[in-house]
Amino acid sequence: MLMVTNLKKISKQFSTWLSTETSIAPLVVFRIIFGLMMFVSTLRFWSKGWIDSLYVKPIHFFHYYGFEWVKPLNQLGMYLVFICLLLASLFIMFGLFYRWAALIYFVLFTYVELIDSTNYLNHYYFISLVSFLLCFLPANRYFSFDVKRNPSLRLSSIPNVYTAVLKFQIGIVYFFAGIAKINYDWLFQAMPMSIWLQAKTNWPIVGNLFAEKWVAYTASWLACVFDLTIVFCLYSKRFRSPAYFILVVFHVITGMMFPIGMFPWIMILATLIFFSPEFHLNALKLIQSKLKLNKSQDIVRNSLISHKLKKKLLARVLLLYICFQLLFPFRYLMYPKSLYWTEQGYRFSWRVMLMEKAGTATFFVIDTKTGNKGEVDNSQFLTPTQEKMMATQPDLILQYANIIKQEVESRGLLNPKINAEIYVTLNGSKSKLFVDPDVNLLELKDGWEHKDWILDF
Amino acid sequence: MIRFILLILSSTFILLCNSCTPESAEQEADFDDFFVNLADNIIVPRYAALESKLLALETSSNNFDGTNESLVLLQNKFMLAYLAWQKVSSFEFGPAAEYNALLRQNCNTFPTNSSIIESNIATQNYVLDLPSNYQAKGFPALDYLLFNTDNESLKMDLLEVNRAAYLRDCISDMISRVSNVLLGWDSYRVVFIEANGNDKNSSLSLFFNQYLFDYENLKRNKLALPSGFASQHGVPLNADTGKVEALYSRQSFALITSNLQALENVFLGLGENNIDGIGLYEKLKEYNAQSTVVDGDLAEAIQTQFLLCKSKIADFEFDLPFEIQFNTNQLQEASNELQKMIPMLKNDLRSYLSVTVTQTDADGD
Repeated sequence: MLMVTNLKKISKQFSTWLSTETSIAPLVVFRIIFGLMMFVSTLRFWSKGWIDSLYVKPIHFFHYYGFEWVKPLNQLGMYLVFICLLLASLFIMFGLFYRWAALIYFVLFTYVELIDSTNYLNHYYFISLVSFLLCFLPANRYFSFDVKRNPSLRLSSIPNVYTAVLKFQIGIVYFFAGIAKINYDWLFQAMPMSIWLQAKTNWPIVGNLFAEKWVAYTASWLACVFDLTIVFCLYSKRFRSPAYFILVVFHVITGMMFPIGMFPWIMILATLIFFSPEFHLNALKLIQSKLKLNKSQDIVRNSLISHKLKKKLLARVLLLYICFQLLFPFRYLMYPKSLYWTEQGYRFSWRVMLMEKAGTATFFVIDTKTGNKGEVDNSQFLTPTQEKMMATQPDLILQYANIIKQEVESRGLLNPKINAEIYVTLNGSKSKLFVDPDVNLLELKDGWEHKDWILDF
Repeated sequence: MIRFILLILSSTFILLCNSCTPESAEQEADFDDFFVNLADNIIVPRYAALESKLLALETSSNNFDGTNESLVLLQNKFMLAYLAWQKVSSFEFGPAAEYNALLRQNCNTFPTNSSIIESNIATQNYVLDLPSNYQAKGFPALDYLLFNTDNESLKMDLLEVNRAAYLRDCISDMISRVSNVLLGWDSYRVVFIEANGNDKNSSLSLFFNQYLFDYENLKRNKLALPSGFASQHGVPLNADTGKVEALYSRQSFALITSNLQALENVFLGLGENNIDGIGLYEKLKEYNAQSTVVDGDLAEAIQTQFLLCKSKIADFEFDLPFEIQFNTNQLQEASNELQKMIPMLKNDLRSYLSVTVTQTDADGD
């Protein structure tokens, strides 16, 4: 009885805290940073020629389960999508037609990611989620063109919940990445850290150390502790500055070691949201003075006066979102066998840089009428990236078998059988057969249930 | 506070940006000895050998006088040049991939198309540079011209002015292309040795991808495809003796052996004059690279696999078209043996050389 009242008390306190007013400045700075980073990322993506190589050149695409209907546009269409992304990110940064810009950004970015699952990256998922959240946040109600056009929009404070949800989302990324590192290979074998460091022994000065086993162990443990604790440290006023310094060092090192692109930058800048309102107000003032913007008079207007109904609805949606974020990464617990081997429940769970996996997949088409058996030349179907990703992921292996089936049926070979000889190595282990080479892959179906046709690790 | 953060961020920016270039240069610097040996001891001497074999072929085609001896000499010189080609086919980057060379397509598109060849000869109206003539030129076309019927008829045919001219045009086309490549290597050598790192345009990546391509080409197009083990767009193909390399001279196995030996020598760092320099073998030993496909040392594993493949090819008694018709099982065994090399090259070797498959961002495999 006492506990229930306590719980009620805590939940009441919590909901009061969520609706307590706080400065809007951190949210506004976050909006500017997000818009800017997305603009730069998209430009970078374009300049590297990835629009062509990832969305125009491939003949076939791998879909996500349930999103088979998402198809790429033609070349012109894809470039138009990216132009819209560029514009939307600028509009988000400037806070001009903000809600529309955020919504368009979220929809188009998510669309692009859904086209081909071999391009999956956790930080693309992160960007999708953040842009989704931004659609609901009043990040344009201060220091924006929207406010300039309509000064009555101007707010100086917002309820805590609006920044808390972003901090929660960032926290999830780190914390779950930390939880994922709590496993035998990572902590007690220093795998795959040893492999990664081994490849960098030519680095100046520290390179020699990388060959040492204890360095690999230390690095593994430090990375794990960092991921698990960093958010709490950033949250506490006392540890914030040193924690942020460590965070910058961490991301710089990982950025130098791995081809992870913009991710270190995005995280380094996004985590600024943990700093105090004063910090962000000063930042805005700095931008204002550097760009010689007119100083508008500070009218103090608080709060979003919204209907109770709307508030309640929002609260429920938010609760649902949070539950999903907390539970979805744990879905792997419902599958037997090794997670890394089968990758059932691996995606959308913040498993970042956790394993070294590679495979060679040789597919065979058998003409059931003549008994002719032919090895498939993967390069006639897939790009090298697609081939590499497919070779280690069971759902993609099934999709590929069906891609081949459609192709051969369109060329008049009906009812083919498709076998595959797939060897996979995980964290430097010896290559092992991944699926039964005699099973007809076309008889298997993809789905949520356990894929019992994957051989044991 | 804010100035402090700005300071951190700007120094981070400088660090991250600077790190890209000098860091990766530093990182792969120790492949220099491999590149130097590859260029000076292997690639350039092999192109020089090919050029001289082609020049000898040209001489004997100019000296052809309709006698039996001059025909046999011409055929022998052709075969020597074709064997020399097998040793450079894996170097299709840099000068060889330039527009004035494009050696692979221009020198060895097979099967050749005899009707295009005959119509070119008949009409005397052809531009060998056109892609439509890829299948009517190069070694496969010479193979046709020099072996398509018995020697008695060939002696007569080759005296025919238009035919002899076409033969010479095909030879001089290859000579000019190979000379361009050899000349190109004079200046490309420095570029090749200094293009460190492992991105798309690094020497390591160019070299490795073409090496792998050449091996897979051997496995698929020279053996599996004519034997009926391959597919086109997924549809299994029937065995077709018409698709072998060197169909008319029936020397397919000799060419496959030369190609395999050439790939093995690159792996070992063994030069044309038998100087054993730094090859992939030595680099793998240096890293103490382990195979994930078989137990133990990767360098040894690959070398052993080369030996096994060569011995499987050497086991065939008759020529390839004959074996395709009557000895599918043994061909399947040889093909399987060639296949076993693929994961060693594609996974193990690639990962030790740190040649990335993808140039896009990643966050873990």
